[in-house]
Amino acid sequence: MSDNSSGKENWKKGVEKLLKGDKAESLNRQSPEGFEIQALYDSEDVSNRNVDPGYPGEFPFTRGPYSSMYTQRPWTIRQYAGFSTAEESNKFYRQALEKGQKGLSVAFDLATHRGYDSDHPRVVGDVGKAGVAIDSVEDMKILFDGIPLDKMSVSMTMNGAVIPIMAAYIVAAEEQGVSTEKLSGTIQNDILKEFMVRNTYIYPPQESMRLVSDIIEYTSEKMPRFNSISISGYHMQEAGADSALELAFTLADGLEYVKTAVESGLDVDAFAPRLSFFFAIGMNFLMEVSKLRAARTLWAELMKEHFEPKNQKSLMLRTHCQTSGWSLTAQDPLNNVVRTTIEAMAAVLGGTQSLHTNSYDEAISLPTETSSRIARNTQTIIQEETDITHTVDPLGGSYAIESMTHDLKEKAKTIINEVMEMGGMAKAIEEGYPKRKIEESAAIKQAGIDKGDITIVGVNKYVNEKEDPVDILDIDNTGVRDGQVNLIDEIKAKRDKVATKEALLAITEAARSGEGNILDLAVEATRKRATVGEISTALEQAWGRHTATNQTIKGVYESVYKSDKGYQEIKSKIDAFSEEEGRRPRILVVKMGQDGHDRGAKVVATAFADMGFDVDVGPLFSTPEEAAKQAIENDVHVIGVSTLAAGHKTLIPDLVKILKKEEAGDIIIVAGGVIPVQDYDFLYEAGVSAIFGPGTNIPKAASKVIDEIRAKKA
Amino acid sequence: MTIDELAKGVQEGKRRHLAKAITLVESNREADQQTAQELISKVRSAKETIRVGISGVPGVGKSTFIEALGNLLIEEGLKVAVLAVDPSSPATGGSILGDKTRMETLSSKEEAFIRPSPTSGTLGGVAKRTRESMMLCEAAGYDVILVETVGVGQSEFEVASMVDCFLVLMLPGAGDSLQGIKRGIMEIIDILVINKADGDQEKMAKNAVTEYQNAFHLLTPKYDGIGVEFLTVSSIKKKRIDEAWEKIQGFVSALKEKGIFEAQRKEQELNWFKRLVEDEVLRRLWGSETNKEKAAELVEQIKKGEITPVKAAYDFLSSEISR
Ligand code: B12
Ligand SMILES: Nc1nc2c(ncn2[C@@H]2O[C@H](COP(=O)(O)OP(=O)(O)OP(=O)(O)O)[C@@H](O)[C@H]2O)c(=O)[nH]1
Ligand SMILES: [Mg+2]
Repeated sequence: MSDNSSGKENWKKGVEKLLKGDKAESLNRQSPEGFEIQALYDSEDVSNRNVDPGYPGEFPFTRGPYSSMYTQRPWTIRQYAGFSTAEESNKFYRQALEKGQKGLSVAFDLATHRGYDSDHPRVVGDVGKAGVAIDSVEDMKILFDGIPLDKMSVSMTMNGAVIPIMAAYIVAAEEQGVSTEKLSGTIQNDILKEFMVRNTYIYPPQESMRLVSDIIEYTSEKMPRFNSISISGYHMQEAGADSALELAFTLADGLEYVKTAVESGLDVDAFAPRLSFFFAIGMNFLMEVSKLRAARTLWAELMKEHFEPKNQKSLMLRTHCQTSGWSLTAQDPLNNVVRTTIEAMAAVLGGTQSLHTNSYDEAISLPTETSSRIARNTQTIIQEETDITHTVDPLGGSYAIESMTHDLKEKAKTIINEVMEMGGMAKAIEEGYPKRKIEESAAIKQAGIDKGDITIVGVNKYVNEKEDPVDILDIDNTGVRDGQVNLIDEIKAKRDKVATKEALLAITEAARSGEGNILDLAVEATRKRATVGEISTALEQAWGRHTATNQTIKGVYESVYKSDKGYQEIKSKIDAFSEEEGRRPRILVVKMGQDGHDRGAKVVATAFADMGFDVDVGPLFSTPEEAAKQAIENDVHVIGVSTLAAGHKTLIPDLVKILKKEEAGDIIIVAGGVIPVQDYDFLYEAGVSAIFGPGTNIPKAASKVIDEIRAKKA
Repeated sequence: MTIDELAKGVQEGKRRHLAKAITLVESNREADQQTAQELISKVRSAKETIRVGISGVPGVGKSTFIEALGNLLIEEGLKVAVLAVDPSSPATGGSILGDKTRMETLSSKEEAFIRPSPTSGTLGGVAKRTRESMMLCEAAGYDVILVETVGVGQSEFEVASMVDCFLVLMLPGAGDSLQGIKRGIMEIIDILVINKADGDQEKMAKNAVTEYQNAFHLLTPKYDGIGVEFLTVSSIKKKRIDEAWEKIQGFVSALKEKGIFEAQRKEQELNWFKRLVEDEVLRRLWGSETNKEKAAELVEQIKKGEITPVKAAYDFLSSEISR
C-alpha cells in the first residue's frame, strides 16, 4: 500500500504541471448545493469523513433498504400516466402492463386534483387534459376495469382531493369484490409540498393536515399493504430546488407528518413502515446517486433520534423516483432519450424501489404511444440487457460517492435544523421560507442557462437549426367534458337523493367538529354515489378554499447576469422605452385555469422586473374574465399568459374575446410555456402576438415583447 | 382616445377609461402631465365619498384586511376603489407587484377597482399620483377609496395628508411594537386596528389594545372631542371587520358633525398647492444648468474655505433671484 499523503502530493504535482502553474484546487467546483466538489477523492477523504456505509438492509440503510436489492428482484417499473376519459386511460394501462410495466400510477386531471367535477365552470379548459377525469366511483370502476385490484399495486398522485379519490378507489375495489386489506399501492397524500410547489391544494394548511392524519389512521387499520403517504421531493426539484434543498425539505416534511400522526394518538410503528418517499433524479449523476444514499441514511438517523421506533422498518426509507422532466427539452427532443437514460441509471445506482422514466416528448405534450414505449423500454433495457442488477450497490465504496453522500447529508442536516428552529416544516411553509428558497434557486438556474454558463444541448449550445415537429397527443377537452357531464347527470338522476345528502352533511359536520374519520365517512358517501366534487364541497363548506399568498423575489436573476453585455443592452432598451413612454413597460403575467405550474411564470416575472418591466403577477387559477379585469385596471401594455397544462386553446381565445368586449383589444397578448408548434397558427389567428416555448432565453423574449409593444403603437 | 372621450368614459364609470386616465396621471412625461391636468379639470365626482388610508408594516395584513373590508362594503351596495402604493422603489429595474393575489375575491368583483402602482422613479413622489388617481376614482363613481401604503419612508405621512380617515394596522404583541413605532405616526392615526387577532394571538391582541390605549392617552388629540379608536380584528377569519367599518363611518360622521370634514379636505388642497409650488421651485432651482454650475463653483469655494456657507447661500440665491 502506498503512502497516501505522498500519493496525493504527487497527484497534485502532476495536475499542476498539466495546468501550467495553476493550483490543483482550482479544479474543484462549488456545487449549487453549497459544498465543494473535489476534482479527486481518495481513501483519506472517506476516512476523514468517518464514513462507514455498512451493509444493505442494515441501519442506517445507506446501501439500500433491502439486503438482496435487485439481485433478487429488480425495481418496479411504474410509469405515471393518465389522460382523457377513464375508458381511454384504462386501455392504455392494460397495454402497458402487457409490455413489461409492473405497477400502475394514475395521473388525474387538474379539475379532479382541485376537487371540481367536470361540469364546474372554473375548469372548462382543464377536463381530461393533463390527466384522467374522474368524477365518481363509476369512473374509477371503468379506470380499473379488467385490472384485479387485489393483485395490481396502484399508485395515485392525489393530494388536494385525496379524500374522495381514496374513497372512490376503495369503493371501486369493493364493487370488484376486493376488500380493503388486500389493496396494495400508494396514495401521495403529501399536502405540505402542495403549498410549496405543486399547487393542487384545496383547504387551508391546518385542516388539510387533519385529512393526512385521517388517511394514515384509516390505512393503518384497514389497508396494511397500502402506503399511506408518499413524501415527495420530486416536485421541489422540478420547481427549481437543488439536491440539498430537495432532500432537506422532503425529510423535514416527513418528520412533520410523523409528528402529526403520533400526536393524533397513533403508535409510530403502526404507520411508519408504510411511509414512502419520492425523489426526482436530474442530470447531476454523482450528486443524485449520493442523494438517494444520503436520504436513507439521514432518515434512519432522524427517525431514531426523534421517535425511537421499535420496528426496524420504521427507520427504513423506501422510495419511488422519476427522472427529471425539467431537464428535458422541446428542442431536438430525441436527445431526451439519452438524458432520461443517464438519470434512470442514477436512480438505479442510488437504489430506488420503483421508477418512472420520462418520454422524449415531455416538454412538448403528453406522451404518445411511441414515446411511452421507448420510455418504458429504457428501464427494461437496463434491467434485462445490462449487468447493473447483478450486484447490490455497485458504487458503494467509491471514494467520490461516499464522500458526496456524506457532504450532501451534512448540508441537508443544516437546512433541516434551520427548519426545526422555525418550529418545523408547517411553520416554515407558513412563513414562505422553503418556497422562497426554491424560487431563488430556480431564478439562479434560469439565469445560468440564459447566460450560457449552464449548457443545455440543443437549447443554448449545439443547436439543431432545422427541426421537424414531432407527433403529439392532443386531447379534445370539450368532447371529454361533454361525456363526463352526461355521466354525472346520469348518476345524479339514479341515486337516492336523500341518502346522498345525509352522507354529505355528515362529512361537513365531521369537518366542523373535528370528530370522526373523514375518509370513513367519504367511503360511505361514495357508496351512495356522491361525486368527487360534492365530497370536496362538503369539506369546503366547513373549511373554505385556501388562497395562497404570492411572494415575489427580486434581484436574484440579475445578480447572476449583471456582468453580461447583452443583458445590459436589453436593460438600456427598456430604459429608453420607459423614457419615451413616460412609464415602464408593464406586463401582467397570468396563470389561467387549474394549471398550477408556476415555475416559468415566477422566473419570467422576476427576470422581467430585474430588466426593467413593471410586472403584475396574477393569482393562480384565474379565469379569463379575472385576468382581463386585472389587465385592464392595471392598464398593462402586455398580458403574458404562461400555460403548461394544455388549456391554451380554450382559455386564450376566451381572454381575447373578453378584452375586445371591454374595449381593450389593444392590449397585447403573448403566450409562453408548453405549447406544441402545431398550435402556433391557431393562437396567432386568435390574436396572440408572440409565443415563447420551453427553452426561451428570457432577455431575448423581453426584447421581443418591447418590439411588439412598439409595433402595436406604430 | 381624445381627452374628451377619456373624461367622458371616466365619468361614465368605464373601467378601461379610468385605468387609462390613471396611467396619464402617473406618467413621467411632461406633455402628459399637462394633459392630465386638463383631464382632471373636466371630471367631477357627483356623490359623497370616503377616503381611507390604510398603513402598517410589511406583512401586517393590509391587503388581507382590504379584501375583507372591501367585500363587506360591496355587500352594503357600495363601490370600492383600492389604490396600492409601494414606495420601496428598487435601486434598478422595475417593480414586481403581487398584491391582487391577496385580494383575490375582491379583485374579481364588478364593484371593485384595484390599482397597484409601482413608484420607481416617479416625479412628485407617492402623493401626486395617488391624490389625483383618487379624484379620478371618485369621478368614476366609487364611493369608498382605500389607499394601501407600506409604513416605510414618508409615504405614510403623505397618504395621511390626502385622506379623511387614517387607519393603521398593528400586530398583536404591543410592547415590542410600541418601541418600534415611528416618530410622528401616533399623531396622525385616527383608527388603530390590531390585526391577526385569531388563534393563539387573540389574547395578545386584546392586551395590546390596552397598552396602546394607555400610550395614546398621553397624546393631545388630533381633533377636539374625537379620540383615536381601537379595535382588534382577524382579517383572515373576517372577524370584526364590520366593527372596523362602523368605526370608520362613526369617525367620518363625527368629522362632519363638527364641520371638520369639508374644511379638512379644503385644507389638504391648500397644503397640496403649497407643496406643489415648493416642489416645482426646487425642481427648477436645481434643474437649471446655470444654477448647477454656479452651485458647483460655490461648493468648491466652501471646501477650500474661501467662503462661508452662509455667504455662499446668499450669493447663490441673489444671482438666481436677480435672473
Ligand atoms: C416542472 C414541471 C412540473 C412541476 C411544477 C412545479 C412548479 N411549481 O411549477 C410539478 C412536478 C409540480 C409538475 C406537476 C404536474 N405536471 Co408538470 N411539468 C413540469 C415540466 C417538467 C417543466 C416545466 C417547467 O417548469 N420548466 C421550466 C420553466 C422555466 O419553463 P417554462 O415554464 O416552459 O417557461 C419558459 C418558456 O416556456 C417561456 N415562458 C413561459 N411562460 C412565459 C410567460 C411569458 C410572459 C414569457 C415571455 C415567456 C414564458 O419562458 C420560460 C423560460 O425559458 C413540464 C415539461 C417540460 N419539460 O416543460 C411538465 C408538464 C408541464 N407537466 C405536465 C403535467 C401533466 C403535470 C401534472 C398535471 C401531472 C398530473 N396529472 O398530476 C402535475 C400537476 C401540476 C399542477 N398543479 O398544475 C405536462 C402537461 C401536459 C400537457 N401540456 O399536455 C407536462 C408538459 C409534462 C408532460 N409532457 O406530460 N410539473
Ligand atoms: N393569522 C392571520 N394571518 C393574517 C391575517 N391577515 C393577514 N394575515 C397573513 O399575513 C400575511 C401578510 O398579509 P398581507 O395582507 O399580504 O399583508 P400586507 O400588509 O398587505 O403586506 P405588504 O403588502 O407586503 O406590505 C399573509 O400570509 C396573510 O395570510 C389575520 O388576520 N390573521
Ligand atoms: Mg399588501
